[in-house]
Amino acid sequence: MTTAVQPYLVKPDRRFVEAVVARGGGDLKRCFQCATCSVVCELAEGNRPFPRKEMHWAQWGLKDRLVADPDVWLCHQCGDCSARCPRGARPGDVLAAVREQAIRHYAVPRFLATWANTGATLPLVLLIPVVLLAAALLARAPLENAIPFGAEHGFYAEFFPHWLLIGFYGLFTGLACLAAVVGIVRFWKAMRAADEAQEGYAPAVGIVSSLWRALRSIVTHDRFAKCKAQAPRRSAHLMAFYGFLALYVVTLWAVLDLYVNPYVFGLASLYPFGLLHPMKVLANVGGVLLLVGCVKAIADRRRDAPGAAAGTAFDWIFVWLLLAVGVTGFATEVFRFTVDPATALASVAYATYFVHLVVVFQLLVYLPYSKFAHLLYRTVAIVYAEHTARRRPLLAAPAAVRSLPTPATAAAGVGGGQGRSADTDVLMRPSERL
Amino acid sequence: MEQTLAVYVCRGCDIGSSLDIEKLRTVATGELGIERVRDHPCLCGAEGRELIRQDVLAGVTTPVVAACSPRCMTEAFTFDGCRTERVNLREQVVWTHEPNHEDTQALAEDYLRMGVARAQKAERPEPFQAPVDKTILVVGGGVTGMTAALDAAAAGYDVVLVEKAPRLGGRMATFSRAIPHRPPYRDPVLPDVAAQVAAVQAHQRITVHTGAAIERISGQPGQFDVSLRTNGTATAFRVGAIVQATGWRPYDASRLGHLGYGRSPNVITNVQMEVLLGSGKLLRPGDGKPARRIAFIQCAGSRDKDHLPYCSGVCCRVTIKQALLARQLDPEAEAYILYKDIRTPGQYEDFYRRAQEDPGIFFTKADVTGVDATDDHDLRVTAEHTLLGDRIQVAADLVVLATGMVPVAADGEALRRYQDAKAVVAKGEAGAQLETATQTVEALHHLEGTGILNLEYRQGPDLPALRYDFPDSHFICFPYETRRTGIYAAGAVRAPLDSQLAREDGSGAALKAIQAVELAAQGAAVHPRWGDMSYPDFFLQRCTQCKRCTEECPFGTLNEDAKGTPQPNPIRCRRCGICMGACPERIISFKDYSVDIVSSMIKAVQIPDETEEKPRLLGFLCENDAYPALDTAGLRRLKYSAHIRFIPVRCLGSVNIVWIADALSRGYDGILLIGCRSGDDYQCHFIRGSELMQTRSSNIREKLKQLALEEERVRLEQIPITDVARLPEIINEFAAQIEAIGMNPFKGF
Repeated sequence: MTTAVQPYLVKPDRRFVEAVVARGGGDLKRCFQCATCSVVCELAEGNRPFPRKEMHWAQWGLKDRLVADPDVWLCHQCGDCSARCPRGARPGDVLAAVREQAIRHYAVPRFLATWANTGATLPLVLLIPVVLLAAALLARAPLENAIPFGAEHGFYAEFFPHWLLIGFYGLFTGLACLAAVVGIVRFWKAMRAADEAQEGYAPAVGIVSSLWRALRSIVTHDRFAKCKAQAPRRSAHLMAFYGFLALYVVTLWAVLDLYVNPYVFGLASLYPFGLLHPMKVLANVGGVLLLVGCVKAIADRRRDAPGAAAGTAFDWIFVWLLLAVGVTGFATEVFRFTVDPATALASVAYATYFVHLVVVFQLLVYLPYSKFAHLLYRTVAIVYAEHTARRRPLLAAPAAVRSLPTPATAAAGVGGGQGRSADTDVLMRPSERL
Repeated sequence: MEQTLAVYVCRGCDIGSSLDIEKLRTVATGELGIERVRDHPCLCGAEGRELIRQDVLAGVTTPVVAACSPRCMTEAFTFDGCRTERVNLREQVVWTHEPNHEDTQALAEDYLRMGVARAQKAERPEPFQAPVDKTILVVGGGVTGMTAALDAAAAGYDVVLVEKAPRLGGRMATFSRAIPHRPPYRDPVLPDVAAQVAAVQAHQRITVHTGAAIERISGQPGQFDVSLRTNGTATAFRVGAIVQATGWRPYDASRLGHLGYGRSPNVITNVQMEVLLGSGKLLRPGDGKPARRIAFIQCAGSRDKDHLPYCSGVCCRVTIKQALLARQLDPEAEAYILYKDIRTPGQYEDFYRRAQEDPGIFFTKADVTGVDATDDHDLRVTAEHTLLGDRIQVAADLVVLATGMVPVAADGEALRRYQDAKAVVAKGEAGAQLETATQTVEALHHLEGTGILNLEYRQGPDLPALRYDFPDSHFICFPYETRRTGIYAAGAVRAPLDSQLAREDGSGAALKAIQAVELAAQGAAVHPRWGDMSYPDFFLQRCTQCKRCTEECPFGTLNEDAKGTPQPNPIRCRRCGICMGACPERIISFKDYSVDIVSSMIKAVQIPDETEEKPRLLGFLCENDAYPALDTAGLRRLKYSAHIRFIPVRCLGSVNIVWIADALSRGYDGILLIGCRSGDDYQCHFIRGSELMQTRSSNIREKLKQLALEEERVRLEQIPITDVARLPEIINEFAAQIEAIGMNPFKGF
């Protein structure tokens, strides 16, 4: 069987290795291929379990294989592998670093991904929305004179009219969507080409059905629930996920309320919503969820727990940005209900609103370039995995393999067999790295 | 010498309560005619020992102590100026048989008879005294040899160090850097050979001969006469013991054509890589371009049934060292290490980690299937079963084959065959013999000039090549041991190892050489019969020149004269008695161990009448493993048939078949021979004991046929010393089998 396959010419890429090492995979080279990671991983299934092979590819700098590998995206970085790795090679962190490299690889234009995820260039990247928003404000009056827009309501619209807001963000998120689509298509093609070159591309489930299964999995976070070492990450992610989703729905509804309902359905616009309007309630609940989720994620990352993620600029920029969106959003709302537009305080409110607009730009428009792109690639990878039945095991795993003691079971004296808990011996905390 | 025997029966340790001591005394006084017979409740105590001591002072020359096993209380029952005979009533009688039973009593009485018979015939050995030179000859001036020389000299012994190369240092001196041998085990270190060379040269007790070859070594430990040729000049001197530290050479890479060797100049061995690294420039031998992509193929010709079946244990660390050095020389260079398993035992794991940290060093497990060269000197390494893919290729500028170590040792036995055949050809004898000899000369022609020690030994001019061609004889029991007494192998010629272990070997072998000369001076045996003063005596007037003794001695003790008469070299002897067992004329004997002594013991046993339905079995037990195992069975109170009488033998190979014939004609019903395991993983202290017995047993079968007896009456068993539980089973099973066959018809004749 092996001789039928053409030999794969390995092109070791030291630069790629160095990039992975520099971006959170610093312990990559320690791996000596024992496969403990793949054995303890609750998510690795099927006949091509991860992260052992990814560790090996990354050690050799085989970027072409890694960016075309759906498995790196099936990892939720729960840290079980990092906690159990006998050499402290931290496969979880390596896979996170590889994902960043994949996002950069598929980004169009690529430099944006580099700038957006590097501390030194971050101010420059932030400056872009500042300049663009300032330019939009300057262009407002001439535009208003040129095009007759509908009446505006309320407080912030005096400062930044809704039509301008929607036009501005519509344009730039549209561009981002274009970049996202290009990235997704290239990713899909790369995964397919890799399978064709190796074991064959054999779709087993239709695309619609695969998409449905992927969405069901994402909505329930069922795979996240299998994590052991970093189980609390699931709740943080769930809150941020649903918080963001709620806010996104409210924003869409606001656009509909302003520009679609009155003209298409003849419904009176209720904007700006009162505090008891269902959409306002949803927005506030979502905002709180987002804030709590972000704060919890930051706290979890800072905790020196077994298998805790290393935390790179790539991670921190995204989570702090999400928090900033929530905080500036709430501040903006509070000012709206408390500040008299006639007073000087209004300028503070407008400034806060401006900052909010900048961070929202940063979050949405830079989505394909930041860690937020995991939303795209992970979803696509899950769909692809369902589509090609990647997770279907060739052989049923023996039960014993799956019942290694975990921190929870070992502490409770179950699963591990002996009373002596395995976690103190085996689990590696970030501060105890070799 | 006139002997005065006295019998002492101990009543302690259950002996008194399990046997009728009075009846035992009657056997000694009445039947055996011993005047002085005493019993004591605790013979090994101060009072009991004093009792014997007083008798010895009063003229007793041979106290026969019927008590515990001779393996216990040896010191307690040793008295100045006399030989103590021991009768094992405890482990092999009362602890293993039903107390106060008539069969147990008969067993004890027989053992007493056998002990007295032996005591009457055995003499106290007189050591072989000869002038002994205590100089140590060290052959090989590498790290092993230099360490051996320095350590022996530091212990106060004169040393002669012989090196064939023009200067000392060996292979390590040719390496620019070595594997780190101490914490933190991270970076290659300087080999540190120069300091050792200087120390050797400065030492007053060490005489160094470089550019030297050994022409001839004759004699025996303490009296080795060495002829040396140094740059055309001959010298001769005498030494007492020899350490062979001739080191290693790399496996012949020309046999590794499938890995590209010989097909591209850019495929080199790890030894060639050392030279390249030492030059300070990493240039491809093929075209002088910088070698930036270096592929290391591990286990090149190692752990491979078609090449070297073993692991040399160092190549992984050598490759790691070379990869790190290459990266130091050229930061743009990359090393790809394709391995079966990385073997960096113990703390050397940190050295492996160090290489792993380097982003320019890549490791993968792989089965390399081939190396191909493209037109422009580039190389492609193809491998299977990697995690990078089922079949991969790696492009490389330079391929380094991590070849293993082969001992620099001559095959003494093959050399002997070659020399014998040459002698036949030279004589010009006619017929089939000449034809065979001519063929042998042709087949072994490559051995011409490979001799190293050039010993004047009948069994070959060098150490025999053993497992994987290493001359190491019995590492598990006796490290540095070879099959030639007083000659010790150390370093890479003994086993593949690194320079640190080679140094340890040098120290160990120096100590063994010192033991050898010191024991030679006392006239005592070296291990395993450490301190034994007896040695074989040859009554040559009756020798028929059958050469069995010279052929069968596992240690090459005996030379032959032109007619084939054995020429004993007592200091080479390990006192196993294999020659005694081999001799059909029964002319070889030790003062305390001979064909006659054992025959007397066999005859001392009372054989019951056929009508008594009590069979008598005889057992020969190897003293080294089977006898202690049977004692242990006693400690565990395991029970076995009381019909068997055991005689301990120095080695099963010392059993002369005349004993078996004697026993069968005396009316014994069966004979059980228990020795050590033979074969590749033999446990025999004298290497071939059970094996020789096996060969001789075909003669025994012939004998049985002549006597019209069943073949099953003689059985050979091999057990390890640990197989205590199986021993009673073997005995009982044999007893049952003999019972089924029936009584020996020769009883009463």
